[in-house]
Amino acid sequence: MHISEGVLSGQVLAVGAVITIVGTTIGLRKVDYDQMVHVAILASAFFVASLIHVNIGPVSVHLILNGVVGLLLGLAAFPAILTALVLQSLFFQYGGLTALGVNAVIMALPAVLVHYLFLPLVGKSPKLTFIAGFLAGFFSIGFSCLLMGTALWFTNEDFLKTCIAIVTAHVPVMVIEGIITGFCVSFLLKVYPEILPQKKESGKKRIG
Amino acid sequence: MKKILILIALILGISSTSALAHKVIVFAWVELGQIHVEGSFGSDRPAKNCVIKVTDSNKNLVHQGVTDAQGQYFFALPDTRDSDLLVELNAGTGHSGHWTLTKDELGVAPTPKSLGEKMAQKQDLEKNPSLVRILSGIMVIFGLAFAATWIKKRKKDKPNA
Repeated sequence: MHISEGVLSGQVLAVGAVITIVGTTIGLRKVDYDQMVHVAILASAFFVASLIHVNIGPVSVHLILNGVVGLLLGLAAFPAILTALVLQSLFFQYGGLTALGVNAVIMALPAVLVHYLFLPLVGKSPKLTFIAGFLAGFFSIGFSCLLMGTALWFTNEDFLKTCIAIVTAHVPVMVIEGIITGFCVSFLLKVYPEILPQKKESGKKRIG
Repeated sequence: MKKILILIALILGISSTSALAHKVIVFAWVELGQIHVEGSFGSDRPAKNCVIKVTDSNKNLVHQGVTDAQGQYFFALPDTRDSDLLVELNAGTGHSGHWTLTKDELGVAPTPKSLGEKMAQKQDLEKNPSLVRILSGIMVIFGLAFAATWIKKRKKDKPNA
């Protein structure tokens, strides 16, 4: 999912950098600084997840976990994912620093989107919680594939062909991430509900 | 605290089942009058059927080919060797890597010692990230999180001081 250095045009890289700066600024303003440990844990999970691989044809895909990060952090997913991507680039040579902005948009924007789409379902019932988690994991990768296809499309590649290739390569990851996110959210709701944003807010209201 | 430890174990436990690297690695060297190119996504994961493009320093196409099932490709040394060669491997969907062969390498026949050094360099590139690197990355993330919290708290406390 990490676009390599030297693949994208200057304009695409610039647009990616601007969106990332805006997203990270908003994310840093919205983040609850009393819960920074949650942000760090989820950023660490994202940082390490990229080391798990599935080889499909000539392409090697890896776990991303942007769904669980986005679902639990919302807008704070932007700074969390950006930090993890910088470290992946420095420590593992993934992607590269010039493509950082675009790679952050590809992975963080869908994460924020699934937060607003599926978080309202979490906690309604155990079944709905798992479904919400599954959909968040599944669609965060799906949306990331579409954004990746769009970035490559603006760099002279056939949009439909590229999107089909990316989505096809990532279907197993979409399913795996859906299952992982579903189990993660269901488990966390049982053992550590404070990590879920709604529970955090209702807890604060009760205290207030 | 116990709950936070469970959370760390749960999320990082998911991620620790298999530690493999993901990056496009291209390596090229001269041996027996041929340029050998090898592409991979790390140890034991060859970049199969990927397009190889070789260009000189003026971006003129010198050679083009496709890697085999082992991620390898060989071709004869070009007649003119007055420029460095850039070997690019395109694995599709935004994944690519490159390697530069200097004109000095192209002009001199490799010795067993220099070949051994090249192979050691290749193995070093293909190595999976070490546990130290992974743990260092996690420590940096937690360090930044605590630094951000500390700065925010200091800002909050200042008006009251």
